[in-house]
Amino acid sequence: MSGTQTTTMSRYGLEHGSPDLRSVGAIAFGPEGVLFAADNVAATIFAFDVSSALPAGAGVPGDVDGLDARLATLLGCAPEDVHVRDLAVEPGSGAVVLSILRGEGAAAVPVLVTVGADGELADVALDDLPFAALPIADAPAEDDERLDVRVVAPGEPEGETMEIRGITLRVTREPLRTTTVTDMSYVDGTLLVAGASNEEFASSLRRIPFPFDGTTETTPLEIFHVSHGKYETHSPIRTFVPYGAGGSILASYTCTPVVQFPLAALTGDATAARGRTVAELGPMNTPLDMTSYTRDGAEHLLVANSRHPLLKLAVSDLEAQEGLTEPQQPVGAPREELPHAGVLLVGGAGEQVLMVQRADDGALSLRSYAADAL
Amino acid sequence: MPTAALGRHGGQAAAGRFAVHDGDTWFLPRFGFVAGTSYTLLIDDAPAGTIVCPAPPASGPPAVVAGLHPTAGRVPVNLLRVYVTFSRPMGEGRARSAVTLRDAGTGDVLRGAFLDMDPELWDPERRRLTLLLDPGRIKRGLAGHERAGYPLVEGRTVVLEVSTAWRDADGRPLGAGAQRRYVVGPPVRRRIDPAAWAVGAPAAGTREPLTVGFDRPLDRGLLEHALSVRDAAGDPVGGVAAIDDGEAAWRFTPARPWAAAEHRLAAKALLEDLAGNSLRRVFDRDLTRAADDPLDLDEVQRPFTPRR
Repeated sequence: MSGTQTTTMSRYGLEHGSPDLRSVGAIAFGPEGVLFAADNVAATIFAFDVSSALPAGAGVPGDVDGLDARLATLLGCAPEDVHVRDLAVEPGSGAVVLSILRGEGAAAVPVLVTVGADGELADVALDDLPFAALPIADAPAEDDERLDVRVVAPGEPEGETMEIRGITLRVTREPLRTTTVTDMSYVDGTLLVAGASNEEFASSLRRIPFPFDGTTETTPLEIFHVSHGKYETHSPIRTFVPYGAGGSILASYTCTPVVQFPLAALTGDATAARGRTVAELGPMNTPLDMTSYTRDGAEHLLVANSRHPLLKLAVSDLEAQEGLTEPQQPVGAPREELPHAGVLLVGGAGEQVLMVQRADDGALSLRSYAADAL
Repeated sequence: MPTAALGRHGGQAAAGRFAVHDGDTWFLPRFGFVAGTSYTLLIDDAPAGTIVCPAPPASGPPAVVAGLHPTAGRVPVNLLRVYVTFSRPMGEGRARSAVTLRDAGTGDVLRGAFLDMDPELWDPERRRLTLLLDPGRIKRGLAGHERAGYPLVEGRTVVLEVSTAWRDADGRPLGAGAQRRYVVGPPVRRRIDPAAWAVGAPAAGTREPLTVGFDRPLDRGLLEHALSVRDAAGDPVGGVAAIDDGEAAWRFTPARPWAAAEHRLAAKALLEDLAGNSLRRVFDRDLTRAADDPLDLDEVQRPFTPRR
């Protein structure tokens, strides 16, 4: 084990072991080769020290065509069994990691894959590495009275029988609530986690100190709608990106408004933080991913969408934008639609941007773009 | 040493290693072979043989749909959420292709009705899926609502259909599809007020159920844990709750006979109705209506006393 690795381990509270990773979705780089990974099946966020697995030598990889077919070969499966979930780029080195699920259901295998400068794919060995784990389950406390009251619904298994003072009852106790992590980002010692509940419809952004100390703060968020300044609601955040040296966050909600708020507003107290709507992307569009990059010394943001073209916004325009309260045409901050098609995932590394793109025939590729070409 | 490769990308070998044991050469795959997939062995880059990994034999009956909620026959046009419950753990990623809403009269699929949520919203066991109707089309003032309108159409009857395109966790299709019909009524945009509920006090000294009738159907998932009963000392009363069909009534049978003292029915503020209105807030609150201002509360209590 290298000296660097021992330092990282002790500084961040990681220990050697074999993490019980059951699925993988959103990933994000933290400090010094630490990669965070959200496991929505285990309801756990992992922090892995992947520094020894990252390809040696500097540099963002070049284009990789036929990414899905190459991944399929590496993973020993058919291309349609390869599900690329997220892309993370290490700031500084430009090293690239993809989170993948091979197959579906109980047989799904979570895999982290590195992409070398020459396009070579390699999986990160997860059977013995320094890591830490933080559960994010929404489980009620042990003494929560809800555990005594449980519906036994038709079609559900009957659960355990419980004897209370001579009376036998059929109760089930397993909670059905989950928080599904949709996106994560690391800013200055804090992991920000966006998630959606499978029950109530609410915004929540969690601030998790790293090294993990078991605490999370959760801030509910509200946004103002674009039209007429008249309506106000919550919504789960689908994807977000910190910008402005981590002082602000741009978030895209499941009901399409793009919202800006300062990080300082997320203090974890009961009153909700309010976001300022800066753009609206239109109907039947799902935001997929966001990243920031630098062009000509100025910070820019990219928003990839399921339907809407790839969007580019300049941070200076966002800062100048008044919160949207009146209907305008076009709606919101000035933005540019870029011609890159089928963009699913984006990751920025200074003056390079990586994109995972899907062609019309379904084939995936990983492409690298210079910032001044965007 | 031979190499094993799959597909046309000879430059990328399947992760794994070769080993010699008892005079035989073995390939140990890093990730395990996938049922139904064929693998080609290459020796000196030339194909030397192909195998197909067989599928394991199926065990037990196939999964079926155990519940479709809401079960109310009428839903508001701003319905936000449906739950699909299965009898066994399911595979993820099929909701887009396996669930549809159709107009019952014309048979036309209501396009873009559901929010494409990736990852999907499942319970821990992967037996209950939460599907959201597109909030961008439900919420007033958003471009989705202005241009495309509600996902449902008021006055029409719609059919929620689950098809056998779904696969369970072992990759097997559903044993049968399922459907439920709804008549679509006007939108519901007001907070839930427990003061409007009909609370039927049980007889003291018995284990008769406490009955609670709501003024509108409520969300099935949240109803399972948002209501509880406390005794005169404020301690939780143990028992079993049941939600009536239609999600408009709740019955609680205590573990022990009711004491003849004041009890409280407690409702958590996060409880929502079918349109996402909660005890705290209206789903898309109109800032100009003071009656819709959000309430800053965690819980509402309704007292009741078992009858002598």
